[in-house]
Order: sequence, then structure tokens, then C-alpha cells
Amino acid sequence: MDLDANRNLIAAALGRISGGDRAALQTVYRLTSAKLFGVALRILGERSEAEDVLQEAYVTVWRKAADFDPNRASPMTWLIAIARNRAIDRLRATRQSRRMDPIEQASEVADSAITADNALESAQDHARLHGCLDGLAAHERGALRGAFFDGDTYEDLAARMSVPLGTMKSWIRRAMIKLKVCLEQ
Amino acid sequence: MSDADDHSGMSEGELLAAEFALGVLASVERAAARQRMARERAFANMVAEWEQRLAPWAGEIAEVSPPPQVWDAIAAALPAPAAPSAGLWQNIVFWRGFALASALAAACLAVVIYLGVIGGSQPLVASIEGGGARTFVATVDTRRGTIAVVPAAFSADATRVPELWLIPADGKPRPLGLLRADRAVTITIPPQFAAQTVSDAVLAVSLEPPGGSPTGLPTGPVIGSGKLTSL
Repeated sequence: MDLDANRNLIAAALGRISGGDRAALQTVYRLTSAKLFGVALRILGERSEAEDVLQEAYVTVWRKAADFDPNRASPMTWLIAIARNRAIDRLRATRQSRRMDPIEQASEVADSAITADNALESAQDHARLHGCLDGLAAHERGALRGAFFDGDTYEDLAARMSVPLGTMKSWIRRAMIKLKVCLEQ
Repeated sequence: MSDADDHSGMSEGELLAAEFALGVLASVERAAARQRMARERAFANMVAEWEQRLAPWAGEIAEVSPPPQVWDAIAAALPAPAAPSAGLWQNIVFWRGFALASALAAACLAVVIYLGVIGGSQPLVASIEGGGARTFVATVDTRRGTIAVVPAAFSADATRVPELWLIPADGKPRPLGLLRADRAVTITIPPQFAAQTVSDAVLAVSLEPPGGSPTGLPTGPVIGSGKLTSL
């Protein structure tokens, strides 16, 4: 199914949820739960925890559907942010520190090699973000990846990449500034 | 903090918004950022902008189908519909009445079908279910060669229509016709499919472009299915 149709369908269903339409929530669930479950599973690494988070995420969608503003965010962005935030909260609550495997900067897979998921965002948005990520230094990109995909904190990342905490903070902040500048060009 | 100059135009507030959206903050800082989102609209907007910037990255994450019990748990966790003054859709009295009316309708249908049995036909029914809910109920009148399909928990999509499929023992879907979210539809079974419209054949509903699947096979998601059984 093409991107715009999918996006309109999800946005329209979100609009109906705020009026108390349970079937609309089910429509949103049907269209988006596999993506959101993938996101939660990636961060948490455990199915049972990811299932709990998915449930919390859609109950949050039910409660906050009125906050969704289609002029401000795409529906998938809004939904993924809810699922990611729930998953990260769960991660912070249940684990002190985790995934201490070192991040191999040199052997990192080139970001641009990965194809976009068309159901989610337009291919152009994906290509643009990847173009900008490719412009970062490998250590900056590696640190951003660890935070985005694994839910790592600054401390986790500093340990994984064997650098002082202050260094990690400046890497991430500098990378975010570069990213914004690049995306706005 | 007054180190905005070190950040090439990104204020301390925006950096915090970016860190929150990226998900790199530890619990205490996360909680503080959340409180600030609740207090400051401008800060909440910056978080939303950063979520939008980073969102295409999630395209790399593979989709994984959650097990069906997750939807059941969500449905069970939703608050009970509000007081009668909250309108028809949220009115539990309405829904109880609706359930009662549905039960009565089902009973009437059973009588009609029973009379049909006496009349010599062999009626079949299927409860078409998916995502933890019954979406449609189908009744086959084999004597007349028709299928009556009543919507249950199904709400219309803005851009797609539900289409009914017959999937006999060979597993190949045959198009039967379009359904409606707002009322029952009676479909005449095409004569070439009549011999396959038997007990244990499956009825399925998919979402298709207006006018139905252009290919003769389901192109959109299947939202429910159920086996035909003799009453």
C-alpha cells in the first residue's frame, strides 16, 4: 500500500480514537503494531517485556490521541515516539546497566547500505537522514546508533566505547548539532 | 547555562530536547525533561521536532508481529465506557441494548435458518474474527445460493473497503464481493464457486481499494477469517 494512503488512514483513525471509538484504536493497532513491536523488541531485547510495553503504548495512544496534531508530526513518528519512550522508561526502570559489548567503530556497517521502510517515512526523508549520518565521524555515528537503537545512556555508551563520560557527552551533542545543520540545508 | 555559543546556535534547551528524543538520558534527567515538556510548550515542540528528524531511522527496524493476546490485553485495559451523558458511542446502556438487540437478531436468524433447514437447505455460518475481535458474521443460504454478512466490530477505513473472500480446501482465495461497515450485505454466490461453499471452507475479509481488489486476489491486509460450519 502506498505511503500517503497509509498515513492518511492512520491519521484518520487517530482522530476517531479521541471520540472514544475503540474500533479506530484497533485499526491503528492493526496497521502499526508490528512496527512498534519491532521497535520495543529492539530496545528491550526480550519478547515478554516488549509485549508489556506494546500494551502500555497503545493504552497511551488511546488516552492521548487528542494530543496528536497531524500538522506537527506524521502519525508514525508520533506512535514510534510513544513506543520508544515507553521502552526506554522500562529499560531504565529494570536495568542498572546493560549491553556492555564494545561498539566497533571501524567495522560499523555503512548506514547508507540499509534500505528504507516505505511504510514508515518517505524514501527521501530516509535518504536525507542517512546522507547526514554518513557525514558524521564514525565514533559519533556509532554513539548515536547505540542511543537510538539500544536505548543506551551516556554512561552505557562511555563504557561501551571506552571513553570518559564528558567525552561521550560532547561527541553526542556535537553530532546532534551537525545533524541539525545538515538536515536544514 | 550560558554556553549557547559553544553549540553553534543550539541552546541548552534544544540540546536537552535532542537528548530526550534520542533516548540517551538517564532516568532522573528523563523525568526532569518530561516535566519541562509539560510546563513549556516551546520545549515540547523542540522534542517533537527532534523526534521527527530521527524518525526515518526507525525504518531500519524490522517489523515483528506481536502475539494476539497483546490486543486482548489492550482491549481489557481500556477504561469502561463513560456515563450515558457522554454520547451514544460511549454509552454503556446503549451497548448493552445493542448487545441484547444483537442477541435477539441472532436468535431470529437462528429461527429463520432452522426453518430453512426444515425447508431442505443446509445453512452454514462463519464468525469472521481477527485482531482479537469478531469483525463480521456470515450466514450462507445454500438453497438460495446467497451469503448474508453482518458487520460486528468493524469500523470503516477512510480509503479502503472490506472485501469478502472464499478460501476452499485448495487454499486459493476467490472474490465474493464487497462488504459494508454500516449494514448487512447479501451477496449472491457466483455459480462457479457454489460447489466450494461448503462446511470447513474459510471466509476471509481483506481491506481493498474502493471497488475491490484490482487483481482478483487480496492485496491489502486480511482483517479476519473464519471457517464455515453447519448450524
